[in-house]
Amino acid sequence: MQSREGWVMSMLSKRKINDGIMTGITYGSSFISLVVLLSIIIYVFANGIKLLNWDLVTHNFEAVSYIADLKDGTGPGNFTVDRDFDEGIYYSEKWGVALKDDTNLLGKNVVVVHYVHPDSPFKELNNKGVGTVDLALTLDYEVIRIAFVDSASALSVRGSEIMIAILDANDSFRELEFSTTGGGIRGSIVTTLYLIFFTLVFALPIGVGSAIYLNEYAKNTKFTRLIRSLIETLTGVPSIIYGLMGLAIFVPLTISLTSATGGNIISGSMTLAVILMPIIIRTTEESLKVVPDDYRYASLSLGASKTQTTFKVILPNAFAGILTATLLAIGRIIGESAALVFAIGTAIKDQVSITDKSTSLAVHIWAMMTDEPANIELSTTIAIIILMMVLILNFTIKILSKRFMRRYGVKA
Amino acid sequence: MQHVTLIKKTKFQKNAVVDQFVKALLFSFALLASSFIFIVAGVILVKGVTPFFSDNNGLGSVNFFKFLTGNTWLIGESFHSNLYSIGFIIVSTMFIAFLSLFLSFPIGVLTALFIAKIAPKKLAELLRTVIEILASIPSIIYGLFGAGIVLKIVYDLSAMFGYQSKGGNSILSSVIVLAIMTIPTIASISEVAIRSVDKTLEHGSLALGASKMQTNFKVVLAAAKSGIFTSAILGIGRVLGEATAVSLVAGGRRSGYSFNILDTTSTLTTIMLEGMKETTGLDYDIRFSVGIILMVVILLTNLILNAVKRRVGNVNVK
Repeated sequence: MQSREGWVMSMLSKRKINDGIMTGITYGSSFISLVVLLSIIIYVFANGIKLLNWDLVTHNFEAVSYIADLKDGTGPGNFTVDRDFDEGIYYSEKWGVALKDDTNLLGKNVVVVHYVHPDSPFKELNNKGVGTVDLALTLDYEVIRIAFVDSASALSVRGSEIMIAILDANDSFRELEFSTTGGGIRGSIVTTLYLIFFTLVFALPIGVGSAIYLNEYAKNTKFTRLIRSLIETLTGVPSIIYGLMGLAIFVPLTISLTSATGGNIISGSMTLAVILMPIIIRTTEESLKVVPDDYRYASLSLGASKTQTTFKVILPNAFAGILTATLLAIGRIIGESAALVFAIGTAIKDQVSITDKSTSLAVHIWAMMTDEPANIELSTTIAIIILMMVLILNFTIKILSKRFMRRYGVKA
Repeated sequence: MQHVTLIKKTKFQKNAVVDQFVKALLFSFALLASSFIFIVAGVILVKGVTPFFSDNNGLGSVNFFKFLTGNTWLIGESFHSNLYSIGFIIVSTMFIAFLSLFLSFPIGVLTALFIAKIAPKKLAELLRTVIEILASIPSIIYGLFGAGIVLKIVYDLSAMFGYQSKGGNSILSSVIVLAIMTIPTIASISEVAIRSVDKTLEHGSLALGASKMQTNFKVVLAAAKSGIFTSAILGIGRVLGEATAVSLVAGGRRSGYSFNILDTTSTLTTIMLEGMKETTGLDYDIRFSVGIILMVVILLTNLILNAVKRRVGNVNVK
């Protein structure tokens, strides 16, 4: 009897140990997700935060450089200013220009124009290259090189202090090379906004229309079920396949209809619209289903036609659902990359035209990461922007659907 | 009186016409939306079959059998050949897909079990939010994370074993990145399946003297088997179709079968993306053929796994 009891006790304690191990395993594996999320966020922020500033959003990606020389009749003078410059900023009273050392968005050390005196000869320069005749050196331009007639050039790699010293020692210069600062993502932001707009223009009418048909008009026939399952099948197709389809259909279509010569924003939006179709239809339909039937009967019995009922009673009541669908769609558009690589292309542009190639923020990252060498810093900075947008969208959707569900007394 | 009814009649007739018109319009939208799947499949099929029949501007048609089984992919115009074979890529794609599922499936399912049954309410809520956020992070960011962190870890790891990997670009890196991406899919769907398991089953098991954990693992998981299997099917679908994230960590292998997890690799999707920027002719058309193969691979995997699911999932715990 004693031994039997002992056996039971040992079984129980063994079971306890087993249970403990199992619990430990589940705890461990759930925290993997937490660790992954945290490390992604920490990685992205730690690498990208350095470049995150307003310049990034407003500047062009490509740096444009100019070569200029002095206009006739202008030259050095005495341009005193009654202001003090901070440490590290060097002012030439002879030329009326202040320079400082800085790093640009691509992480290179550059010499940046900090101040130009209103009467300085640098305010009126002669363009030696193509384009407009007059140039002016203004704030935030990067000075690359100043070449003189009979002395060594002042190069930006040697820093702003030496550059100013050389400039002070000369009475005129042969040519000045300067450029706008590059590495900005203005073009990609504009493209992303265009993509969101046009995709919604294409996708919302068809998607919401289909959802209304399926929920309000269609009878539960074999044919309706077929339509439903065909739309549902679209969710299983990987986005790269949609990209191929966009490349084969929408790109030639837009080329023949517009002035486009290759992939463009319109063809990209059409491709995205197809990708988003099942999401928009499903989300809208769910919100239509939640609208109580009483509303329909009440409206119909008051003499409203079916069309009036649908568009004036049902749709406004399903508005939150359609908004949710729109926000979900925007999230997908911001994050989509594979399909757009095919349907638009990977050329990073500053002058965005809807009938030309350009990149969304996500494709911008991909294009830079597949380049040699990969620009991880700027990529992570863009990733911060994408992450913020996606998180805000998600948060909004959660609040929206909670309020919507509560309104009709449905437990989420 | 006569007059009023007349007006009413015409008004109703007008409304009926509008109703009919709107219905037809909405129907055409629904028809259009459902026809996209045919457009997608048709276009890929037509474009993808061309390289096997046309002579590709003098390069000669691609041999379909060699395309399916060979182990060399000569990319780019420079080779000027019709030697495009993806046999080794199909194998490596499946290899990567199953390895990553091997990692993500247990983690995902255990996470789901933890959230649904074990965790305190606050912690469960937190983890559910974490899973939701992970699911909504765009794949390019996972790729970036892979290129920045996973590559470094794998590189150091392979250096530890005295293996010179190509900057960490390898099967292992791809597997890790893909596994991370599929955990939220598997966890969220499995959690729904686990939560919908009948409470009476659990109570029965507990009443018979099984401990809480024994019940969770042997009864709840078994009862949710079908839903958990669905999550795996969806997960592997995401793995097979993922493109940009993998392309940043795969390394781009052009020839030869390799099962060394520290070796570079290519998947069906990365080979489609590779060199996409500057390409024309056969090198461009062949990507559609790869697209067909990708769709067939996904379809076959789904069918097989669904068949397995039917055999496994039907065992009811009663």
